[in-house]
Amino acid sequence: MVDTTKNTKLFTTYGVKTSKTVTPEVASKLISKAKRPLFVVGTGVLNPELLDRAVKIAKAKDIQIAATGSSMPGFVDKGVKANYINLHKLGFYLTDPNWPGLDGNGNYDTIILLGHKKYYINQVLSATKNFSDVKAISIDKNYIQNATMSFGNLSRADHIAALDEVIDLL
Amino acid sequence: MSKLTTGSFSIEDLESVQITINNIVGAAKEAAKPTKEAAEVTGPMGPTPFPSIATLRDWSFTLFDRYEPVYTPMCDQCCYCTFGPCNLEGNKRGACGLDMKGQAAREFFLRCLTGCACHSAHGRHLLNHIIDLFGEDMPINMGSSNVIAPNIQLVTGLQPKTLGDLKPVMEYIEEEVGQLLATVHAGQEAAAIDYDNKAMLAGVLDHVGMEVSDIAQVTALGFPKSDPEAPLVEVGMGTIDASKPVIIAIGHNVAGVTYIMDYMEDNGLTDKMEIGGLCCTAFDMTRYKREDRKAPYAKIVGTISKELKILRSGIPDVIVLDEQCVRADLVEEGQKLKIPIIASNDKIMYGLPDRTNDDVDAIVKDLVSGAIPGCVMLDYEKLGELVPKVAQAMAPIREAEGLSAIPTDEEMKDLVSKCVECGECALACPEELEIPVAMEIAKGGDYSALEELHDYCVGCRRCEQVCNKEIPILSLIEKAAQKAIAEEKGLVRAGRGQVSDPEIRAEGLNLVMGTTPGVIAIIGCSNFPAGTKDVYNIAEEFLNRNYIVAVSGCSAMDIGMYKDADGKTLYERFPGRFERGNILNTGSCVSNAHISATCHKVAAIFASRNLSGNLAEIADYSLNRIGAVGLAWGAYSQKAAAIGTGCNMYGIPAVLGPHSGKYRRALIAKTYDDSKWKLYDSRNGSEMAIPPSPEFLITTAETWQEACVMLAKNCIRVSDNNMGRSIKLTHWLELSEKYLGVLPDDWWKFVRNEADLPLAKREMLMKMLESERGWEIDWKKKKIISGPTIKFDVSAQPTNLKRLCKEA
Repeated sequence: MVDTTKNTKLFTTYGVKTSKTVTPEVASKLISKAKRPLFVVGTGVLNPELLDRAVKIAKAKDIQIAATGSSMPGFVDKGVKANYINLHKLGFYLTDPNWPGLDGNGNYDTIILLGHKKYYINQVLSATKNFSDVKAISIDKNYIQNATMSFGNLSRADHIAALDEVIDLL
Repeated sequence: MSKLTTGSFSIEDLESVQITINNIVGAAKEAAKPTKEAAEVTGPMGPTPFPSIATLRDWSFTLFDRYEPVYTPMCDQCCYCTFGPCNLEGNKRGACGLDMKGQAAREFFLRCLTGCACHSAHGRHLLNHIIDLFGEDMPINMGSSNVIAPNIQLVTGLQPKTLGDLKPVMEYIEEEVGQLLATVHAGQEAAAIDYDNKAMLAGVLDHVGMEVSDIAQVTALGFPKSDPEAPLVEVGMGTIDASKPVIIAIGHNVAGVTYIMDYMEDNGLTDKMEIGGLCCTAFDMTRYKREDRKAPYAKIVGTISKELKILRSGIPDVIVLDEQCVRADLVEEGQKLKIPIIASNDKIMYGLPDRTNDDVDAIVKDLVSGAIPGCVMLDYEKLGELVPKVAQAMAPIREAEGLSAIPTDEEMKDLVSKCVECGECALACPEELEIPVAMEIAKGGDYSALEELHDYCVGCRRCEQVCNKEIPILSLIEKAAQKAIAEEKGLVRAGRGQVSDPEIRAEGLNLVMGTTPGVIAIIGCSNFPAGTKDVYNIAEEFLNRNYIVAVSGCSAMDIGMYKDADGKTLYERFPGRFERGNILNTGSCVSNAHISATCHKVAAIFASRNLSGNLAEIADYSLNRIGAVGLAWGAYSQKAAAIGTGCNMYGIPAVLGPHSGKYRRALIAKTYDDSKWKLYDSRNGSEMAIPPSPEFLITTAETWQEACVMLAKNCIRVSDNNMGRSIKLTHWLELSEKYLGVLPDDWWKFVRNEADLPLAKREMLMKMLESERGWEIDWKKKKIISGPTIKFDVSAQPTNLKRLCKEA
């Protein structure tokens, strides 16, 4: 199993609280147990290796996809349902208990993050970390300090291998 | 004679005494008080001349009611006073009682205030300098306009006619900046939303300060005046002829550089030397004495991202600095390559010896010998002589020594082979560049991956500082990109200054009705998330769609760096008027004031609204009726935060790049909360439902493609007529399909009747409205019978301000 918990060197420091690192096993359990999860997928997912795996993760647990940035065409090409939403706006809406969500059924308890620029997602997550109870699980290549749980910094190959392990365990 | 100080005094028993009054304290505010006589000449005074912190709070809060402050703190801690550091994570309160939201709002406000102070201090410096040269009575000349200072008039109520008239404006800004800065102190403010109100005021003052700056220099320094055919200027690192002595100027304040250019002209040096600039000084060098449209000899090298790159190329023989956006390591870096650094503004002295009072030739001797790495020179007459002389003296020495930080082919090979691909550089890189991958490929002798990094690299050298093998990574990238750099030769139109009153008269109706689909203002710095071409792509997309594209500063430069298949830049392909399908470059950073002023002018000239001291009403007009959206795609500076926030207070929304989440505060509306999407109809005070646009005042986008979709959507305004709405929906829907692969899921919210629908898609969209939304359609008449939640009323007068309603 890929050790996704080792390298937690920060690209910058946000202060006192850092996310806990998770193994693919724990990440998959957290995803499985979430009552109302949302898979928040950034433009980095247009890399075919990531896109295939993002689709598998979403399908495995029938998780709604929030396609941020310009990631949407990836899902359209695959014939997979997703909803476009701006990431900054989503970060704000997640802090509002009255947000009806992307499907009208209310806000989410867990977000799963993949395909994001680390500086951008980390900043957006500083809102959810400080002003909401939503759990943020980052399964991206970089350690994301403002997530609740995150993989550590991984090589490209290890990251792909870790995602495959998550998929197998879902 | 002795000078009297400020205060009251009585003069009795004096005979034959001449009294000269230099300045009447408070005269400006007194002059702005409405009088019947003044109103007859200049129009009535609005309710808020010379606003202070509390004056426009109601308007800020009206905006915040829909556009809620969204805080994204940069740090869990507050380290501001000795009670701390305090952990505010989870919105806790610190020892002083301030919570996380309050701290984030304070930090954001401080960025805006810093930006405002920067532009305003720049304005003060320029104004004093220019008044010293030309006198207070010099009439302001901004071209063929009567409304010559829209920001100043809107905010203060003053209508300056001469350079001297700008002095009370500066005094007002300086007073407010002091008041605002005081509130950053511990124990001064509690509520986040009140810091947000202060940020809005700082933003507004920023636009006023910028306007003072540009009015002074446009008037006195021979800049183009509202000229859509201002000359084209060479831009790019490849434009500099390194065989000549080279002067490089960096910063934003052109005052000192004009003396260097005068000296070059007076001594016949303009074709014997090169003078190029980085950041906005470069723009203003190319505007200097170019109102006659003569092609400038000064060249634009590029943005702050190019500062280290041009230095390390070894091309400059001397670098002269003024102020703002100047890298702090230039002296250290310059020393390595024997490039003297001359600091010409007391805001930036870099620890260098002040040689202002010394003989020029003695200073040249010390710089050439290397006795000093550079110096401070605050006497502009001397600066004008010193800098060309240093360049001429250093050029042969530096050429003989072959000074450059760019490695030779052999050195390159050795340096690349030292890399162990530890990944530290990638972790440190603010742009997340895959440097280790490029290095690995380079080991095989293929430098193409390193070359590709050049355009994405912001030249910060954070990678070098963490490299365990001390590899000069930035220089390696530059070496790999030598060919690309040599070919970096574009064209940008010199800053034209304001949009003129006649242009507003011709375009105002189209804008307010929506038949010109919008104004996209591409401004700001070069901290792009994916290279410089983003801004070119966005500008081209909207020009092809007949939007008005207004540009300024570093974005304007980068837009000019790219050419089409015929070798033409956008500035050659599209004209420079304020008209649909045109690209107009207003000029340098301070010329951003002319972009916001364009909205004020539409309200004042086209809609005959009173401008003087009437901010809330004019901003309300812009927010509801003018489809203008700003884009600061590479915003990195505090000035950019101030510019964007000032626009917000004026009712102009702005999209920023993904780095700008680090400013800590956005203003985003809840599109799902219908209670927020209502206005008054000022004809009778009744409420009217409106579509959710603009859906933010300031926010970020992830990619340029997403930004295109957001920009088009947020040009939609409640005042659009059917044709205007149809045109705007056409572009938004097309862009969404082009870049996101789908129609937007909320397009139907903007449809009032069938005439709003894009012509080419009308039937298909009506079917969707029927099947997906349950709208009733009369297919014989091809009309919508029922369904829309918003009504179309061409006579409606939408406003957020109850006081403007007739019944009020």
